Amino acid sequence: MAAFDYAPAIAVLPLASFVIALVAGRYMPKGGAFAGILATGGSLVLSAWMAFAVAGGDTYNESLYTFVDAGEELSLHLGVLIDPLSAMMLVIVSLVAFLVHVFSLGYMNDEGETGLPRYYAGLGLFSASMLGFVLADNLFMAFMFFEMVGLCSWLLIGFWFRDAAPPSAAKKAFLVTRFGDYFFLVGVVAVFATFGTAAFAGAESFPTIAEEALAGGSEGAGGAAVTTFFGLDPGAWFAVIALLILGGVIGKSAQFPLHTWLPDAMEGPTPVSALIHAATMVAAGVYLVARIYGFYALLPTVLAVVAFVGGFTALFAATMALVKNEIKQVLAYSTISQYGYMMLALGAGGYVAATFHLMTHAFFKALLFLGAGAVIIAMHHGEDMWEMGGLRKKMPVTYWTFLAGSLALAGIFPFAGFWSKDEVLYEALVHGLNDPLLLGAYAMGLAAVFVTGFYTFRMVVLTFHGKPRSDVARDPHGVGWNVKFPLVVLGALAVVAGFLNMAPVAELTGLHVDYLHQWFVGPLEATSLETYEGLIEERAGYEAAELSPLLPAAVSLALALAGAGLAVVLYRGAEPTEHTDRLGSAKRVLASNYYQDEYQVWLAEGLTARVARAADTFDQGIIDGVVNGTGSVSLLSGSRVRRIQTGVVSNYAALLTLGLVALLVVLGVTGGWF
Amino acid sequence: MVPIQYYLLLSASVFCIGLFGVLTRNNALLFLMSVELMLTGANINLVAFSAQTGTLTGQVFSLFVIALAAAEVAIGVGIVLALVRNFEGVDVTRATTMRW
Amino acid sequence: MNRPRLKLGSHLVSGLAAVALFVVLAAVFLTAPFGDPAGLVAEGSVTAAIGYALIDRTGLAAFETEGFLVALLVVGVVLDAALDGALLLAKSESGGRIVTALRTGTGDDSRTDGGDRETGRSDGGGE
Repeated sequence: MAAFDYAPAIAVLPLASFVIALVAGRYMPKGGAFAGILATGGSLVLSAWMAFAVAGGDTYNESLYTFVDAGEELSLHLGVLIDPLSAMMLVIVSLVAFLVHVFSLGYMNDEGETGLPRYYAGLGLFSASMLGFVLADNLFMAFMFFEMVGLCSWLLIGFWFRDAAPPSAAKKAFLVTRFGDYFFLVGVVAVFATFGTAAFAGAESFPTIAEEALAGGSEGAGGAAVTTFFGLDPGAWFAVIALLILGGVIGKSAQFPLHTWLPDAMEGPTPVSALIHAATMVAAGVYLVARIYGFYALLPTVLAVVAFVGGFTALFAATMALVKNEIKQVLAYSTISQYGYMMLALGAGGYVAATFHLMTHAFFKALLFLGAGAVIIAMHHGEDMWEMGGLRKKMPVTYWTFLAGSLALAGIFPFAGFWSKDEVLYEALVHGLNDPLLLGAYAMGLAAVFVTGFYTFRMVVLTFHGKPRSDVARDPHGVGWNVKFPLVVLGALAVVAGFLNMAPVAELTGLHVDYLHQWFVGPLEATSLETYEGLIEERAGYEAAELSPLLPAAVSLALALAGAGLAVVLYRGAEPTEHTDRLGSAKRVLASNYYQDEYQVWLAEGLTARVARAADTFDQGIIDGVVNGTGSVSLLSGSRVRRIQTGVVSNYAALLTLGLVALLVVLGVTGGWF
Repeated sequence: MVPIQYYLLLSASVFCIGLFGVLTRNNALLFLMSVELMLTGANINLVAFSAQTGTLTGQVFSLFVIALAAAEVAIGVGIVLALVRNFEGVDVTRATTMRW
Repeated sequence: MNRPRLKLGSHLVSGLAAVALFVVLAAVFLTAPFGDPAGLVAEGSVTAAIGYALIDRTGLAAFETEGFLVALLVVGVVLDAALDGALLLAKSESGGRIVTALRTGTGDDSRTDGGDRETGRSDGGGE
């Protein structure tokens, strides 16, 4: 198939733009921006081609380059897997990366930033890493690109390294995600040790082997060859592996309790925030779970954990967004919350719902961030919403597109977020009716809908409505086509992307409008939707309750409208006042992010540092002491023994003689001469 | 024939007398004489075993030992001269500069 | 009162090592079985045989022996080197000038400033 021969180019093109921007960026117009735009545009075209090829019923699963080939034991290789999931993700990532590159022209170049080649090189490498991650056909390659994504986020969040905050935020992002990645790394090794392969799809892939092993175990027959450790039976051991991989997912996708890096990451340039949150870094975690969903679907315990963490994070992060005053902070917490929804969907067995929400969220969150970026340009890099107000008339394009994104985020009919979020909640509910843990996660997700509506519209109203509350807001800075173009594209997508999968409508009318479902009923059996649904029912024991999708949809829509309405009522008018004080002491807790940072700092400084110091003392005192002691004993004894060397010849002769006598006696006694 | 043990005892006696001189004397010239005694002890040994085994090799070797003794004395006297020049005397216990 | 006296004292203690060596050697010799000596029983001159052995003509020797030509040459070289070494050690530097045992004749005097003829000739002598 000709189309797939060009698949590696999707990731290589942005990599080339990285090299070009780095080497020649300073000699090029716009600091190398056009190389990045062309490269990501090319990736977008190729991705679309891949998507058409997949729509035609083709898939691709080839290994390209082998690092280590130890036969049956171990094979580390780079490869390409293109199936419906990766094709969809490729389009999303390359589209958002392309638009972010265009937007950067307005946000960075027109604002006269310095260090642009470095910026565009970082963007190129970031896009390349994420596209490589999406293309990966095995867990090892995925891990490599996962780490590269983390590295690039470090580079870009710390772009303004001369200030105090961005480098610190970059380090935090790097370290916190790295904490999760340690688990992931152990998980990758465990997968290799257990299955001898890390391939995602195909007869030799590790989800397939795991399924056969579990099937064989339950029937007491054959089963595939797996090696388990610590005396655990395959089911329990697989759960351990899945939880280890989940550690990396929680770090990257900013789930509780490793979400603390994400709000700080707002210190980076706003287009980078859009890229991180919509399509690349944070999405990588959820994408990874979706990628190996055949493995997770075997393990009901792990699924319950995923769902519960997701539901909890959705509510937890949303409440923190309530009291934030900076537009990007609100968006940051909404990102955490929305990824919580995706995890909830995955844990509840809603594979399509999760990927659907991943897609719509990528569009509307990129839109919101770019819109926020436009506002920030207009406000001369001010981010406080209380300094804004009344921007609606000054920047209509930004306002309308931002409003579309906000409606999608809040989940108002018929915008994109409504359809996907509704499906997430529906999946959680129908499976949760038979499972109290899932039902709890569903309840938290449902509560988060209300909160989401509230903070979203608080943000919109404070930013765009009322009267301008500062001089800058009275006379905002204009924005150019390169800002408006991405906004319009994404705004349109935020409105229509939901129609891709109108599951409730399909249910009611019997029309086949759930296109995404049909998309995932894929040609590649191992990663197709039927397989996953089968696994969820057979292995995880999930039972879907019979329930009309209409009522839950109505409930969540009503909650979203109520939240949004409450925000509008509270903050409308020419001179809105702060209402956060009414929360009392809860306000302080929320504004301090539930003291998450404090306890993590305490963990690092109070606990880890102390253990490290004790270990250091042990190392310095005991280990080094032994080594140094050996040395000083040699020195001391040497300085004593050397006194034998008197320089008097007679003494040497006497010693020689005594030595000869001793030697003769020893030889005589042992040799039996006497 | 004389049993070889007598020769060997004689050889050991001469050697040990020489060694005794080396160990107890401080005079460099007496050192040289004592070393000659030790070499003589070794020669007696070689000749005795020549007779014991019925070959001439031991006797030829003793000739070489005598030749080397001459060489040794040549060097020894040179060293004694250097000793006299640098340490004002033939007392070997004074030359202790090459110690720790 | 010029006759030599036996000087006794603590400096003789280290000589005990030599006595100990003698005791050990004697103990070994007296206990070891050696068997009967073979003796040099053949007809002919021992001295001539030694001479033949030294120049590797073992076939002409009346007694059993080996060739020692290489050893002879090596010993010759060693003796020569020892002589040179002895001369090297014996030379001295006095007054900034090297005083050696190899200076002979009046040729040296023309080179020196003549003030120390005695020193110059004191060790003089041919090889």
